[in-house]
Amino acid sequence: MDIKEVIRAINEMEADGVIECYAIGGAVGATFYLEPVATLDVDIFVTFRSEPGSLLASPKRIFDYLKARGGRMQGEYIVVAGWPVQFLPPGTPLVEEALKDAVRSEVVGTSARVFTAEHLAAIALQAGRAKDKARLLQFVEAGVLDATRFQAIVSRHGLEDAWRKFERQFLSDAP
Amino acid sequence: MSFELHAILESKRALRRQLAARPVAEKLRLLDAMREREIAIRGRRIQSDSSVLREEPAPFRPKPL
Repeated sequence: MDIKEVIRAINEMEADGVIECYAIGGAVGATFYLEPVATLDVDIFVTFRSEPGSLLASPKRIFDYLKARGGRMQGEYIVVAGWPVQFLPPGTPLVEEALKDAVRSEVVGTSARVFTAEHLAAIALQAGRAKDKARLLQFVEAGVLDATRFQAIVSRHGLEDAWRKFERQFLSDAP
Repeated sequence: MSFELHAILESKRALRRQLAARPVAEKLRLLDAMREREIAIRGRRIQSDSSVLREEPAPFRPKPL
């Protein structure tokens, strides 16, 4: 089990032109900024290329590439170096922007493209599940968010109400 | 060791800050270790048990208004 092997495989796939660009999101992405939290899978956001002769974007090339290098399918995941990896298209303008603005982060011997802390926090706000709220709170408490950038993302993507509600629920001293 | 809640919470916060400040490579190794431990605890039986309450998948799309 070695998550760095997953990162290396994705970088090779990018270098070989199978994907245009990618970014790590979810709990693994958050680990670049926060304390590590146990997770079941690795979320890789990627723009799928269409198959030759097809207008539909498909992850088939990605799966074929990784299977040829020892990956094995497990439901919607492909298992690489012991980690179930899920490839996700950017399904919202917020995630599209996060993918475009992702940053390179050095990891011993390689580098990884990761969503910014502000985009990870905004995506957690938008997703809105209990664990997303917990992650957003971690980002706020850790003090790793650039408030101006975060607020700009929140405004751009119509998340002001969700943010106000989150502030009332978790950041207000009032009962 | 203290049983004072305030001190306990502050010590937890300090540990979290300390973990967050570690190099990324080290934090990724911790993820590997946590996943290995989780697999060992869960085992295959639980994964195939349909009565287990599962986490809903991330929507990654705006909520309906």
